[in-house]
Amino acid sequence: MNVEKFSYDNNIVRLFIYASLVFGFVGMLVGLIMAIQLYYPELNLGISYTTFGRIRPLHTNAVIFAFVGNIIFAGVYYSLQRLTKARMYNDFLSKFHFWGWQTIIVAAAITLPLGLTSSKEYAELEWPIDIAIAIVWLVFGVNMIMTIIKRREEHMYVAIWFYIATFVTVTVLHVVNSIEIPLTLFKSYSVYAGVQDALVQWWYGHNAVAFFLTTPYLGLMYYFLPKAANRPVYSYRLSILHFWALIFLYIWAGPHHLLYSALPDWAQSLGTVFSIMLIAPSWGGMLNGLLTLRGAWDRVRTDPILKFMVVAVTAYGMATFEGPMLSLRGVNAIAHFTDWIVAHVHIGALGWNGFLSFGMLYWIVPRMWKTDLYSKKLANLHFWIGTLGIVFYSVPMYWSGIAQALMWKQFTPLGILQYPNFLETTLQIIPMHIMRSFGGLLYLTGFIMMIYNLAVTIKLGTFVRDEEAEAAPLIKVKDEFKRGLIHRWLEKRPIKFALLSTVVILIGGAVEFIPTYLVKSNIPTIASVKPYSPLELHGRDIYIREGCNNCHSQLVRPFRSETERYGEYSKAGEYVYDHPFLWGSKRTGPDLHRIGGKYGNLWHFMHMEDPRTMSPGSIMPPYPWLYTEKYDRELTPKMISVMRTLGVPYEEGYEKFANDDLELQAKKISDDLLQSGADADPETDIIALIAYLQRLGTDIKSKPLNGK
Amino acid sequence: MCTYYSISDAPGINKKDENKRNYDFLDDPDIKTKFVDISDDRISKAIFSIPQMHCSSCIWILENLNRLDNDILSSQVNFLQKSLSVTYNNKTSLKKIVTLLDSIGYEPLLNLEEKRDSKNSSELRKLYYKIGIAGFCFGNIMMLSFPEYLSISPQDSAGLDTLFNYLNILLSIPVFFYSGSEYLISAYKSLKNKIVNIDVPIALGIIVLFLRSLVEIIFFSNAGYLDSMTGLVFFLLLGKLFQTKTYDALNFERNYKSYFPLGITIRKNNSETTIPVEKIEVGDRLIIRNGELIPVDSVLIKGNGTIDYSFVTGEALPVKKEQGEIIYAGGKQTGGAIEIESIKEISQSYLTRLWNNKIFSKQKEMNSISLANYISKYFTFIVLGLAIVSSGIWMFYDTNTAMNVFTAILIVACPCALALSTPFTSGNALRIMGRNNFYLRNVDLIEELTKITDIVFDKTGTLTISGKANIKYEGMELTTKKKFLIKSAVRNSTHPLSKMIFDYLEGHYIIIEKFEEIAGEGIYAEINRSTIKLGSLLLVNKEKFDISGGNSVVHCSINDEYIGKFIINNFYRENLTNLAKELKSKYNIHVLSGDNKSEHENLKRFFGNDSIYLFDQSPQDKLDYIAALQNADKKVLMMGDGLNDAGALRQSDIGISISEDKSNFSPSCDGILEAKSFDLFTKFLNFAIYSKKIIIASFIISFVYNFFGLYFAISGNLTPILAAILMPISSISIVIFTTTGTNLYAKKRGLI
Amino acid sequence: MSVIIVLIGFSLLVAIIFLILFIRAVKSGQFDDKYTPSIRILFDDEPKKEKDKKHGSS
Repeated sequence: MNVEKFSYDNNIVRLFIYASLVFGFVGMLVGLIMAIQLYYPELNLGISYTTFGRIRPLHTNAVIFAFVGNIIFAGVYYSLQRLTKARMYNDFLSKFHFWGWQTIIVAAAITLPLGLTSSKEYAELEWPIDIAIAIVWLVFGVNMIMTIIKRREEHMYVAIWFYIATFVTVTVLHVVNSIEIPLTLFKSYSVYAGVQDALVQWWYGHNAVAFFLTTPYLGLMYYFLPKAANRPVYSYRLSILHFWALIFLYIWAGPHHLLYSALPDWAQSLGTVFSIMLIAPSWGGMLNGLLTLRGAWDRVRTDPILKFMVVAVTAYGMATFEGPMLSLRGVNAIAHFTDWIVAHVHIGALGWNGFLSFGMLYWIVPRMWKTDLYSKKLANLHFWIGTLGIVFYSVPMYWSGIAQALMWKQFTPLGILQYPNFLETTLQIIPMHIMRSFGGLLYLTGFIMMIYNLAVTIKLGTFVRDEEAEAAPLIKVKDEFKRGLIHRWLEKRPIKFALLSTVVILIGGAVEFIPTYLVKSNIPTIASVKPYSPLELHGRDIYIREGCNNCHSQLVRPFRSETERYGEYSKAGEYVYDHPFLWGSKRTGPDLHRIGGKYGNLWHFMHMEDPRTMSPGSIMPPYPWLYTEKYDRELTPKMISVMRTLGVPYEEGYEKFANDDLELQAKKISDDLLQSGADADPETDIIALIAYLQRLGTDIKSKPLNGK
Repeated sequence: MCTYYSISDAPGINKKDENKRNYDFLDDPDIKTKFVDISDDRISKAIFSIPQMHCSSCIWILENLNRLDNDILSSQVNFLQKSLSVTYNNKTSLKKIVTLLDSIGYEPLLNLEEKRDSKNSSELRKLYYKIGIAGFCFGNIMMLSFPEYLSISPQDSAGLDTLFNYLNILLSIPVFFYSGSEYLISAYKSLKNKIVNIDVPIALGIIVLFLRSLVEIIFFSNAGYLDSMTGLVFFLLLGKLFQTKTYDALNFERNYKSYFPLGITIRKNNSETTIPVEKIEVGDRLIIRNGELIPVDSVLIKGNGTIDYSFVTGEALPVKKEQGEIIYAGGKQTGGAIEIESIKEISQSYLTRLWNNKIFSKQKEMNSISLANYISKYFTFIVLGLAIVSSGIWMFYDTNTAMNVFTAILIVACPCALALSTPFTSGNALRIMGRNNFYLRNVDLIEELTKITDIVFDKTGTLTISGKANIKYEGMELTTKKKFLIKSAVRNSTHPLSKMIFDYLEGHYIIIEKFEEIAGEGIYAEINRSTIKLGSLLLVNKEKFDISGGNSVVHCSINDEYIGKFIINNFYRENLTNLAKELKSKYNIHVLSGDNKSEHENLKRFFGNDSIYLFDQSPQDKLDYIAALQNADKKVLMMGDGLNDAGALRQSDIGISISEDKSNFSPSCDGILEAKSFDLFTKFLNFAIYSKKIIIASFIISFVYNFFGLYFAISGNLTPILAAILMPISSISIVIFTTTGTNLYAKKRGLI
Repeated sequence: MSVIIVLIGFSLLVAIIFLILFIRAVKSGQFDDKYTPSIRILFDDEPKKEKDKKHGSS
């Protein structure tokens, strides 16, 4: 028995790095465009594909899955091989993973601007792509787990544990949150409704942050920071402790996204408490990372890689303190729906994810190309510009967030709203948005500098495609008599088979069990709440397609400032037929849950054509295509039957009459419009949208407000 | 190998001994089993202890042995344990590997001691399982219990609250039956022996919590107290983990065999080879080189024997042996190589018989009970009494509340503080002491330290520094003649200082007749009509002897003309004056020495006239003396070094072995004090006393919590949420209090 | 709100998976040495090149 010679696959790392650079650029560019659109809506170019509502999910998906995702894979493939002293289990699986993932991203880039979206945040991609994600992710998992099993280094370094946690949890999250019934090739309805959907979505959403943006990066930090600093982790013991504490606590913090919502009180408080408890393990990680540099601070001054990493870890600490603070009810009441949340997100994203990625790239590329970094000076410059970018991004957002919140809540001494017109708050924060986009521009500039720096480095170096290595195999000298019969039986079965079958069973079981279970429990609690009419269903789908929920919320919170402005606060029972829910998470524009009946049809007709005619100074883009494109009537019967499967109580056989009701309602609206002088075609999208908007919030009988 | 030097700044070991060692004895199959962990027909795995590893370069080179020898497949270091595990294919051998390690400066510790069993690590693993399960269940139960606290009402929960409660029961079962089992079992055993130890109130609490919760959930559809129960078990186990501080590289279980080399050079038919020491037969001819241990009783055949028995008997001066004389096992040869013939087997030799004293055969018992156990006795009875009385009174008013109150009192009267104070305080103290090079075997000893009344010191090697001392001469220039006179004069003296002066001076000497040694003063010699006086100033010049801070000064006059003085530094340990002063004010001091009376006066200058000094003590004498003290109800701490103190160390209540190097210390001790921290000894004793005060203070704090809790319990108002708040708060505050308290004290005293 | 049962179910499942992994790791001795791995990752393992053999070992 001898030492085995093998090689590390650097090529796959290279591929992922290239992809991350390309898509990082794209994602950040889209972000910058969005930021500018918020004060210069002309940048929408008047076409449907580039409106804010359509490209916001493109930005989030690109930066999360295309940029961060590819970086994660690059880092994991690099470090896992070296930590296990083994080449990736199967080169084909690696390649499949890579090409599969990029295909998914391209699919996203095509479908999202086309409006093919599910509206659920960070899970907008429609069902065929969801399936593709599951398959590619599983391939990644198999490749990774088999590599770990076939490793030559007995001890599994803590980073490997983080990678495993990422894989297992993201699988479960993705599967559970993406359970949807397809309507057409690129349209589906979520199996959950209303409040339940909100809970599942944010159980997923927060854990996506935890297990996609945090745990893999912690794993990367535990590998790349010591390597870059050439010092061991401050306390390996602490890292083990921190890992297990984090894993057990993280999963329950989700409800903090739903405070003051229609979620039951006790569920909200649960989220708050666990979010606070999360500070401890998170800071354990931060301290461990920073203290690793104890005694090497002089090197931080000169080395850009260490600079990036230090700021990254610090940003992690800041974000994981701010997060729990934001989950406190009092703070949340101010921050929710405002730019403050955007600031919080971007500290984590630009600081923790971005900077750690940059540090890692600057370290890996010279090594794989066997050369020095082309310009350390340029890297240092990148650091400073990037940092400035983060500052110019977040400070204006804090400012505008608090400004928004305070303005929304302010009452005159007489007890009426100080700023009854939402538009006033929008206009007030435009300067901060200009500044924020400057911050984003700086950050993007730094990124471009990095691309240039790395590109020249790559050109000047020689790529080591397969890095030679050698190590002895793990010798398992088994003591045959120690193990029992059961163990020996189990061990004869190939492990991957067991794994795969478990996963399949899980998915199948979940898909079967959950809908039926939930359907039974979806009993409406408010008698007056009725399902959407067929026309309204079409309108809702258009609302989703245009991404309206990216700027408008549909959740009136039980604060006097909101009930004065919007009407009765939102009840859980009102949402029982919302597949998916549309609470939204940001108010760039006003809340729409009680918009029904507030304005006449003509108002909406003119507003959608050009918002500035009804709201001077508005930053909402015009939607002229709604007046020419027609909704697909043929689809109506299918929509009804899918909804019924999901538990919405349409009568049996309603499919046959659905379109009749639809035509009636459409004609009613278009006649009303014609009478007011508007040229309205009852078959066009705008009619359906108006029908939906006029329905919102009217299930509860309450006095209509005299609003503008 | 290039990376070896770039990793650390001080890589490598300096090889002291240029002699190539012979490892033939490693081919012996019995010897092999000591090191080989697993073996099949193709590969084997061996584990070595290599105390020399000290940096990352050491780790690198030891884990890359396969680059030096292709047949070594892999090697893995456990740095804290200073061990190396080597996997190799059977084309190479244990002997080749050890030879390789020796050649790069990392020769493993090869001695007769049995392979350390991995009992320690499996105990620790069991604790991890228990904590893992307790933590998992506790966390989930906590999450599932929150809705109840956050006032979920039955109508809007749609049966969720019932579901949560039953899930809680399910989750608490492994905690009760597995994680908490040791408390239940220990309480049961203790009660069977009619003793109430600390685990009794804990077990009572756990059982009542569990049962009451079951009743509440199943029969009354209320939430139970399962989060408090699992939380209690979790915190207790954490406390246990905290106090299980194992010093990975120190093995307190070692015995005398660790001094024996594994192999011995034997002469057979004119050639030399090595055999395992245990295979020595009567009549074998053995070669013993300078510094090597005599393993068996034998007769000197060839060479000059100068045997150093200080380790075994405490005699400071080496003993000269002539051809034909018997040499007993345990001594070390300090001259050139000698050849001996064994007359007994190893098991019959002196050293082994020394160890056969029955004191070593049984487990050392802790004779006194800890404070926590002492209080728990009263605690349990008081709580039970309170429970019975209160529920009795309530019976007259409302039977339901009576039951409620009975169990509530047992639940809330949390012995958490009792159970957590000691582990956290003592555990922390143990760690701090460890950082200051004082290593105690376990946490219970911290409390034992506070009960000590008498301290017994060995002299040679404990109060004095063994090894070469530092001699300076001040005075008239020493001509060859003067050196000749002085050297001859000291030759006859048995005083250790005389030997040092003898070694220090070069030149010839003769054996003289006219010689007188005056105890406590010095020596007087006559050579060819010259008179030489050496010693105290009184003798030499009629002034007082001068010992300042560990220095000994030997004045010299020839023909009554003052020549000069020899200043011998570090004969006594530095700071002994201060230490002695501090100690003798609080404790009774005894000095037992295997040496002769020559240092009596000097010792009196340190420890005063009230302390007791005994000389020419054999190892058995020391042991008996301590036993006598204990019979007079004294609590004895003994500090010694060397194998000759092993019995006494074992007999004493606390035996501290002082050592220059922590990998080599006297077996059967309870603690190791590295010589460099000798002057901190009083600080450690005071620290232990302070820790006890902290423990008592934390008991008082816990009584306050209990008071509050009892108020609610007795009035029938102990809701689950109240219990769930009180328990963790009291536990966490105790932990914070004790840890901060000990840390602050240590910082103030310069121990951190 | 019954979807919470589903979510709790899956969260518990994930947690149990990790508990099992934890126990298996402790059993196979993964956590016996909590120090040396942090040093080990810092080493680069370049394989022995032919010319090193000529230089001999240190």
